[in-house]
Amino acid sequence: MVKSNKITIPAYSKTLGFRLVIIITIFILQALFLPAQSGNLPAPRGFVSDYANIINSRDRQIIEALGTEVRQKSGAEIALLTVTSIEPFSSIEEFANEVMSRWGIGQRGEDNGVLIVLSTGERRIRIEVGYGLEGAIPDGLAGSIMDNHIIPHLRNNDFSTGLRMGYVAVVAAVAREYNFEITGEALAAQRQTGQGEAAGSYQLLGLLLFFILLFLRGGRSLWLLFFLPSAGRMRRGFGSGFGGGTSGFGGGGFSGGFRGFGGGFSGGGGASRMF
Amino acid sequence: MNKKVLWIVVPIAIIVIIVWSLFSWYINTRNQLIHLEENTNAGWAEIDNQLQRRNDLIPNLVATVRGYAAHEHDIFTSIADARSRLMGAGGVAETAAASGQLEGALSRLLMIVENYPQLKADQNFIRLQDELAGTENRLAVARRRYNEGVREFNARIRFFPANIIAGHLGLERKPYFEIPEAAREAPVVSF
Repeated sequence: MVKSNKITIPAYSKTLGFRLVIIITIFILQALFLPAQSGNLPAPRGFVSDYANIINSRDRQIIEALGTEVRQKSGAEIALLTVTSIEPFSSIEEFANEVMSRWGIGQRGEDNGVLIVLSTGERRIRIEVGYGLEGAIPDGLAGSIMDNHIIPHLRNNDFSTGLRMGYVAVVAAVAREYNFEITGEALAAQRQTGQGEAAGSYQLLGLLLFFILLFLRGGRSLWLLFFLPSAGRMRRGFGSGFGGGTSGFGGGGFSGGFRGFGGGFSGGGGASRMF
Repeated sequence: MNKKVLWIVVPIAIIVIIVWSLFSWYINTRNQLIHLEENTNAGWAEIDNQLQRRNDLIPNLVATVRGYAAHEHDIFTSIADARSRLMGAGGVAETAAASGQLEGALSRLLMIVENYPQLKADQNFIRLQDELAGTENRLAVARRRYNEGVREFNARIRFFPANIIAGHLGLERKPYFEIPEAAREAPVVSF
């Protein structure tokens, strides 16, 4: 061994095997760190994920604050998702169940999550209830919440009010179950829920890899970075193929996006309506 | 001297490593297979659970409908038939067929309800209908998860080299929970 103060690039870094190892490592890390929108599902943006753009900012603030307070006091998580279409799913039930499990709404093991999902394209709405809250919100109650608090507003084309009222009704049922009072304290101390956190860790990882490659190959392997988006597409392909099947029973939902839900599951409880 | 020791130690080390990795592969695969089988068992239990839940729901639902539409004997009979057939069913295929028959009968019941506006507006009926729809949906979810578990399990025990271990453990392919299309049709009720 020759001792030297100079940083030397080890000889093995030039071999084909070593390059392969690097490429494979990148692929694996990509698969691990890609946020959860794989499999054609929208990613969660907070308690409110308004992809259909129908909720006004005041209602959004109220819902976010209520959701935060419920989570602080009971661990239960109530999510609201609006989309313009549920494709490629054939029913809102399937769509809701997939979103619920992928996002992992509710605490892992407790499965105390609720998802209110509305699609403007199919004109359908569903309240999906996790295992742990089926006692607090039986299917009949989920149906009557929609009939009494949501649908009348939807018929007047006031989506924002309808969804807020429905959310409040769900919050009330959860508060009754866990025996706590809603005080609105989270609304007073309104915090901005992170929107851009989603890509954060992923981008950091990309940057890190970039510098590692720069260091190892003296900048000649930058083409490797072109793998980043294509690997993402590949992952999405796998995701839709298996439909989340392997997560099976008792596994965890993985949560990308805002700092995530707890990993809860749903067995398909709840009710649906057309409007 | 040193070289002689090396000649003895290296082959032994290699053999130990090979044996050890074979052994740990065996244990891992075995545990994996057992886990997968347990998965399908749990899936089946959940299906059973939801079938039971639906069965418990039916008397209430039928009683409510009967309050408004007492003369629709045919449908009540076919529901009762399907229900007792399901309760007597054993095994996956038979249960699936009976469940499909009951599902068909129930959906015909809900079609009949369309002719009775007062019944449709009955709060109790709306609640029961939601419970029924929710249970059907839970059943669909349980069925999908069970079938996914079965697919994974069946694939795993058939492929080399895991199939050797599966043979040792006596693991066999599991049937899918599939409802034959014919089962959904109306059974002929003769008087």
